[in-house]
Amino acid sequence: MLEAFLEGLGLVLQWKAFGFMLAGIFVGFWVGLLPGLGGATTLALMLPFIYNMQPVEAFAFLLGMHSVVATTGDITSILFGVPGEATTAAIILDGHAMAKKGEAGRALGAALASSLVGALIGAAALAVAIPIVRPLVLTFGSPELFMLAVVGLAFIAGLSSGGARGMLRGFLAGCLGLFLAMVGQDPQAGVARFTLDTMYLWQGLDLVPVLVGLFALPEIIELVVRGTSIAGDAPSGDISKGALQGVKDVFRHWWLTVRCGLIGTFIGITPGLGGAVAQWMAYGHAAQSARTAEERKKFGEGDVRGVLGPGAACNSKEGGALIPTIAFGVPGSTSMAILLGGFFLLGLVPGPDMLTKHLPVTFSLVWTIVLANIITVGACFLLLNRLTALTRIPGHLLVPVILVLVFIGSFTSNSSYADIVVTLIFGAVGYFMVLAGWPRAPLVLGLVLGKIAENYLYISMARYDFEWLTRPVVLVLLAIAIGVIAYPALQSWRGRTRG
Amino acid sequence: MANRASLGLAIVIMLVSGCGIWSALAWPLKAKLFPLVIGIPLFCLALAEAISILLAKQKSDDFRLSADQPNDVALRRTLLAAGWAIGFFLAIVLLGFQIAVPVLLFAYLRLQGKESWVFTIVFTAAVWACFYGLFDLLLHLPFPAGALFGGWSG
Repeated sequence: MLEAFLEGLGLVLQWKAFGFMLAGIFVGFWVGLLPGLGGATTLALMLPFIYNMQPVEAFAFLLGMHSVVATTGDITSILFGVPGEATTAAIILDGHAMAKKGEAGRALGAALASSLVGALIGAAALAVAIPIVRPLVLTFGSPELFMLAVVGLAFIAGLSSGGARGMLRGFLAGCLGLFLAMVGQDPQAGVARFTLDTMYLWQGLDLVPVLVGLFALPEIIELVVRGTSIAGDAPSGDISKGALQGVKDVFRHWWLTVRCGLIGTFIGITPGLGGAVAQWMAYGHAAQSARTAEERKKFGEGDVRGVLGPGAACNSKEGGALIPTIAFGVPGSTSMAILLGGFFLLGLVPGPDMLTKHLPVTFSLVWTIVLANIITVGACFLLLNRLTALTRIPGHLLVPVILVLVFIGSFTSNSSYADIVVTLIFGAVGYFMVLAGWPRAPLVLGLVLGKIAENYLYISMARYDFEWLTRPVVLVLLAIAIGVIAYPALQSWRGRTRG
Repeated sequence: MANRASLGLAIVIMLVSGCGIWSALAWPLKAKLFPLVIGIPLFCLALAEAISILLAKQKSDDFRLSADQPNDVALRRTLLAAGWAIGFFLAIVLLGFQIAVPVLLFAYLRLQGKESWVFTIVFTAAVWACFYGLFDLLLHLPFPAGALFGGWSG
């Protein structure tokens, strides 16, 4: 085993494989930075280039590219408030708020360091979990997946601000997200629900145009209103010192970072939940880690823990998602499905062979994730001064460029003008939500998990009737969901009794 | 204003969820169950939010649209930003991305940014070159021509 582990490292360090990995990192770096150009799209675009490569070279290229997309996606989210990737939107809430306070260096330092920790957790999970993960994944049927979605939805309580009014608005936003998730053709009866007689809405609302509108357009409006740069008059301070502080924050909150990394890994391992869920659940968990109601109020206004959680989860999910892909040929996300295509193109069949005959190749994937993230994070730290300088560029130069990227990013989701209309509509919704003091995170969580919850509930009912409610894992997950919902109320009660 | 925005949102959500519930009633059980299970609480929560605002005694006149600008300036700039975004969308539909992108950059820098002619032209050309080189030449993303050039495809 150890021999295969080291052989895997040796394979990645061969000059050709290493060169391809660097090329992949270069592509992934820019793909992550540009809003709308998703990691999955780029994987699909790059797939034809691997025909003449050896398996290790091909995976060094593809995985090197894919595993850094989330890292640089966080940079765009923090600096501009525009989600670089659909999976990096949660980090906007506190990361961009920190950038506006002149703490872009600290936010980036925290995001990059937590991304690295997350990637290492994901890679470690991949290395050790393959032999033991089979029973875990096989335990998860549709009832458990439904309950997992319910646990995710329970985090709405954590994402809402304190007090009855805050909870009301949080659950209102969450229900709105769930309701919007119902748009599109119903998978059970085939009824076109809320499609306004348009073909575009038959497949439901695409996440990218919604996220871009909800988060980016209100930021653009605010930038125009303020008439300054993103950081405005906030003192920039020492960028390197700020970044170092961000790195220290990871160690200061190391247990939170590890927990969120594990959440991301678990979401990655579980097929059918999708990558966007990981960051939001990690953010919800980070918000719940606040000890008092006062502390919780700081989330959304630039609390570094709101950066650490999503940063760690977003990168750890990649290692986790590779586990079912390699071990069973069950891809956990679109990107993994494309990567699975890469396996077949190269003549590799996922399954037992990957754990025996091709074990060094499997471990080379682990090393690719580790090395690609170390190199990317190192490069980002070297470029930190230039990156944070972007928050000092006058607003009137940034606004048209961001607007172009936002509209292109939105349009490329389905190559339809309707995507841009959706972005504009959700831009207005996002703006009014900000104006009214409503949290936007629960809406996204509802939208992401709504369809998943509905599908798995129907499958569970059709397959097990009500018996699925007595399954042990379902009961455990139900208890966790109740705990997640009750925790803020308990916290608030404890605060009142102490006060 | 915050309360008014919240009230407005709550009323819109009540209307949307109300219409959703009404149309869901005509569907078969499998299709309508989830929309009703979500739609009815959504309507009730929006109603609760609207009522709590209408019954609240606190004054809302201390709200400001922006912390940095007076309300009238903030309102004017908000409408301006919305106008640019909608205008850009219309330009994309009419002219296509390839033309709308430089048009937006040029117009924004000259009219909104009050930049010099030379800077505006150089900046526009540089950004357009990046856009064209990356998205069109390198990635071959399918940007249709504008409606004015017969490229409307919805």
